[in-house]
Amino acid sequence: MSDKANEKMTNRIRRLRFDNGEMTQQKLAERVGVTRQTIISLEAGKYVPSLLLAFRLASAFGVRVEDVFQYERITSE
Amino acid sequence: MSALQKYAWFNLAVIALTIVVILALVPFMGTKALGGFGFLGLLGFGYFFIRPRPGKVLIDERDNLIWRRSITLAYKIFWLLFVLVAGILPGRVFGQNGDVPVRVVQMSVFVAAMLVVAVMSIAILAQYVGESKDVG
Repeated sequence: MSDKANEKMTNRIRRLRFDNGEMTQQKLAERVGVTRQTIISLEAGKYVPSLLLAFRLASAFGVRVEDVFQYERITSE
Repeated sequence: MSALQKYAWFNLAVIALTIVVILALVPFMGTKALGGFGFLGLLGFGYFFIRPRPGKVLIDERDNLIWRRSITLAYKIFWLLFVLVAGILPGRVFGQNGDVPVRVVQMSVFVAAMLVVAVMSIAILAQYVGESKDVG
């Protein structure tokens, strides 16, 4: 019998942007040193950032990394 | 459009131009038309799309990841084709004891360069498909 683990990482970047004065994707991108396309990909869940970028994002919003990113593991047999 | 996408489109345009120039000149110049491969030198100008500029992020960690994946794929395909073509074709075309003309060797280098750059550029563009549509 084998276990199959599905990992999923979600984030609250879009929510946090709006909670921070409706910050634009461009503004956030400039703050954390990436392109706007990367912010779009992150919000769509298409890109998992490096640990460094994750910390930079959390710092830009003034919250902890785990307040921005959530990790889920669904194990099915 | 990101800087890397512009770079990829530029590469494909240069390769298309090179192929068109060579094909257009072959009827008039014969094998001398292969000098048209010199147009590939224009690929060097692609650097201007991705060169670092103060105060502006053109290439970030995600772009670098896309670039690395694309280069890896391009070289994998190149190596596979190189082994197949270099291992099989010369013997079939020129015979097991035949001579491969220098022109063929030179041309294969340019074709290989075009293949690597073209596959890399297409892979870059493919990885950006469906993005940049969001606003906010």
